[in-house]
Amino acid sequence: MLVLRDVIKHYPLGDGEPVRAIDGVSLSVGAGELVALYGPSGSGKTTLLMMIAALLRPDSGAVIMDGRNVSELSERDAARYRLSELGFVRQSLNLLASASAIDNAALKLMGTDLRAGEAHRRVMPLLHRLGLGARVNHRGEQLSMGERQRVMIARALSTEPKLVLADEPTGSLDSGRTREVLGLLTEVCRERRAAVLLVTHDPRAAAYADRVHALQDGRLVEYEPDRALAPASAP
Amino acid sequence: MKLSNVVRLYRVRLRSRIAQEVFAVLGIAVGVALLFASQVASTSLNGSVRQLNAGIVGQMRLQISARGPTGFDERLLGKVERLPGVLAAVPVLDERVSMIGPSGTQTVDVLGTDPRFAHLGGPLVRRLGYSRLAGLHAIAVPTPIAQAIGVTSLHPVELQIGASTRTALLGTTLTSSDIGALVDSPIAIGPLRYVQSLTDLSGRLTRIFIQPRPGEDAVVRSGLARLAAGTLNVRPGDYEATLFAQAAGPTNQSTVLFSAISALVGFLFAFNAMLLTVPERRRLVEDLRLDGYTAGMIARVLLFDAFVLGVLASIVGLVLGEALSVGLFNSNPGYLSLGFPIGSQRIVTWECIALAVGGAMVAACVGVLAPLRREIVLPLASAFSRHERSRKTKVLALVVGLACIAVTTIILLVAPQAAVIGIASLLVALLLLLPAALSAVVAGFDRLRRPLPGVSPYLAVIELRARANRPRALAIAATGAIAVFGSVAIQGAHHDLQKGLDQLAHQLNETQVLWVSPAGPGNALTTTAFDATAVETRLARLPGVGALRIYRGSFLDFGDRRVWVIAPPPADAHVIPASQVLKGDPMDAAAHVRDGGWVAMSQAIADEHRLRVGDSFTLPAPAPSTFRLAAITTNFGWPPGAVVLNANDYARAWRSSDPSAYQISLRPGSSQVHVMEEIEQALGAKSALVVESAAQREGRFRATSRQGLVRLTQISTLVLIAAVLAMGAAMGAMIWQRRPQLADMKVDGFGGRVLWRALLLESALLLGTGCSIGAIFGIYGQLLLSHALAAVTGFPVVFAVGGWVALQSFILVTAVAVAIVGVPGHAAARVRPAIGQPD
Repeated sequence: MLVLRDVIKHYPLGDGEPVRAIDGVSLSVGAGELVALYGPSGSGKTTLLMMIAALLRPDSGAVIMDGRNVSELSERDAARYRLSELGFVRQSLNLLASASAIDNAALKLMGTDLRAGEAHRRVMPLLHRLGLGARVNHRGEQLSMGERQRVMIARALSTEPKLVLADEPTGSLDSGRTREVLGLLTEVCRERRAAVLLVTHDPRAAAYADRVHALQDGRLVEYEPDRALAPASAP
Repeated sequence: MKLSNVVRLYRVRLRSRIAQEVFAVLGIAVGVALLFASQVASTSLNGSVRQLNAGIVGQMRLQISARGPTGFDERLLGKVERLPGVLAAVPVLDERVSMIGPSGTQTVDVLGTDPRFAHLGGPLVRRLGYSRLAGLHAIAVPTPIAQAIGVTSLHPVELQIGASTRTALLGTTLTSSDIGALVDSPIAIGPLRYVQSLTDLSGRLTRIFIQPRPGEDAVVRSGLARLAAGTLNVRPGDYEATLFAQAAGPTNQSTVLFSAISALVGFLFAFNAMLLTVPERRRLVEDLRLDGYTAGMIARVLLFDAFVLGVLASIVGLVLGEALSVGLFNSNPGYLSLGFPIGSQRIVTWECIALAVGGAMVAACVGVLAPLRREIVLPLASAFSRHERSRKTKVLALVVGLACIAVTTIILLVAPQAAVIGIASLLVALLLLLPAALSAVVAGFDRLRRPLPGVSPYLAVIELRARANRPRALAIAATGAIAVFGSVAIQGAHHDLQKGLDQLAHQLNETQVLWVSPAGPGNALTTTAFDATAVETRLARLPGVGALRIYRGSFLDFGDRRVWVIAPPPADAHVIPASQVLKGDPMDAAAHVRDGGWVAMSQAIADEHRLRVGDSFTLPAPAPSTFRLAAITTNFGWPPGAVVLNANDYARAWRSSDPSAYQISLRPGSSQVHVMEEIEQALGAKSALVVESAAQREGRFRATSRQGLVRLTQISTLVLIAAVLAMGAAMGAMIWQRRPQLADMKVDGFGGRVLWRALLLESALLLGTGCSIGAIFGIYGQLLLSHALAAVTGFPVVFAVGGWVALQSFILVTAVAVAIVGVPGHAAARVRPAIGQPD
């Protein structure tokens, strides 16, 4: 479904050597797969995600989604691609603090032609599935960190995307909440046959994935996850 | 994306930023209020004269008018009526009088006319109830005039006309339901014969209004010109409005300038507040981009934010502006009312409202969208290229800023009439150079603080250099800079103008010891003639009177200008104050004028008629007379300009030996106080003539000219207050938001007092830099405006570097703003030590 072919992204730095944020990365994510991209801060993970989301163009190489090179999309088509084919799970600090859980979850749908009421109806089952049925009308600032992250998952899945990009979704969670959120993410995505590309610097999160790629200094390197860190339900 | 979703998104986000939004609304509202109030003041000034004119003139498209106060023979009316093409002709006698009642005096224009005007004229005369007045031999005045002087209908009222006082019957008062907005006009109306008898001008008219048949205007005009024979003026019916527009030009330009500066300060007030919401909006934009919102959809979401902000700010601003307009700016500039009947009505046009609302919407849109333009279009521009771009931007800003200063300098040297453009260019330069100036001040302070003990200065420097604080810091500094700039430039120019006017007032009065002239607020420029032959003889015989000379003066419509005619006696030692001469030798000019056949005139009049010193021209007096130009002068403080000739030449040209004042010098050894008492006794208690010393007269001149400048002083003060509040609040908010960082620093061992000192130092540096840059640019702006006042309008201006005004503004604004900041700063510095506090 998603294929990255020799993707390169460099940033010029005055008169010195350019910074090689991504230096020839090739990987693929199949339908329904959960792939983790593991690496420390500054390894290029977020840059790679931005290119997959058509928010950055690679200097060379291709980002192919279902046979289409997304790095050549116009701005309008790229937005449409993000709206209908991608879901983005990021850290819950980006929740609208004064909006309710259901408004936050329906935010993506409100960018379509649906009215707010219809958007709410569509995300309600998802919120229930994520264990937030009793908290739908609570404001973002009233939710726990774990609950907020689940709202972000609901938002990302609200448009039935083919691919979910999760950027450090458990970065601000303790180990208990991390297990809870990752468990739900994998379960719900599998139910909806959505592929997941999980970007993380946490080896415990990486252990949930079907496959793990390690990124270091813009390049993929060999990495074997410690499966002992994942719960029994993980692959 | 549906509009209802845009609205919903706005609503659900509002709760978390409501304080900042209220702040932003208030900020824009302040700018709207100042802009609206100053626009209403300007339209009211111009509109009142236009409205009054239209209220009188109605459908009359032409007029033939007298050039002097004694008018022309009313038999001319018959000749006018018989001209081909004339449909109707209406006679008018108008005279400026002081209406005296138990509780005050008002200067009004008394208008005498006949029943035809009641049908053909404007609403003011149509609702006259003419037949009722004619039967009573009475006059009608608007109700506010009657109330101001304490008289009611069917009661007598005193009219001071020249040196005489007459008793008239107030037949009726006119309410707003009778004459609408004209109820605030300084006018009285009566039957023609009655007014003629009151003013001792029986058989005389001052105007005839004419309604030509359709398409016959040109024919009628040429017929009128023939009848006028070069001794009367043939003009459009509404010509008074044209004369006034010319006279009010400098006042209107100043108001426009001030309006622009007020609006800018208000916008910066709002911009400071809106910067507080930029982080929240930036996160939202990034989120929405990730969720597939297009740039257009994001712009719609943000534009709705701006729309709500703009609408609320417009409403609040218009309410505030209305209060300002009524409470503070609702007085006419006394100076111009000496030559024109200016009412006190407030005229709010749709253009005033549209301008204020439009300004609010633009401010809101720019304030919301401008800080996020890159995020909307390019949310993830490279940090490296951003650095590269910012260096180029800095250089470009510096170059353009210096270019703008060069443009201002060129305008100053070559084309001061484009002063408004020069000021705009200077403002742009100020804003572009401010960032570099701030960096230089911080770098300089960093060097200076090194030998000093304590860590507070170092902490202040770190914060001022922090990239994250930069936009807000610049916005705060810009607010102070622009407010102080506006205040220094305009106050400074007015200070120069006031000094020039004061100098003029002194010079016009320095040789004469005592003046005797008609009383009344409308005669401040000594333009009212009076018939007082017996008085002259009585005064000349008084033991303390050394010499009595006749001074004459009036207003004359010369082209499109109502010029002030100054005609001192030939024996006057200072017939033309030397400091007012711009071209020509002052001594020679004075000698020529004394000898007769020569005049001095203001630069603007000379330029308009392409006259140079020595040229001959015809003065369009009641008896057109040829004079030579002895000198070119300032405008003597009267915007349309002035003409100076000797009193004997005046008497010939005006065909009248009536004086406008007596100049009395003392017999040697006489006491001024004693002689004044003698003169008062000789005049009698009921005389309309008053005696005043030269010092008193000079004081009255000064007070009148200051009255004209008071509105701009008020606006300037309001702008400074708004700026102080804006800077204090924005700085305070910025400091308050820094509490988590301060809590962190306390964990590192920095005490509350150290942190407070650092915050105060940071505020002082930031606010001080902005205000001092504003003061420096303001002095340059003052130079430009003063030269424009002198070169373009011909005002007498005494140039002086406005150092004191600049220093005052700088100290006041900086000190008060820092004091305001001290409170939240102290509270913020008391935060408990903590690590990782949420923002």
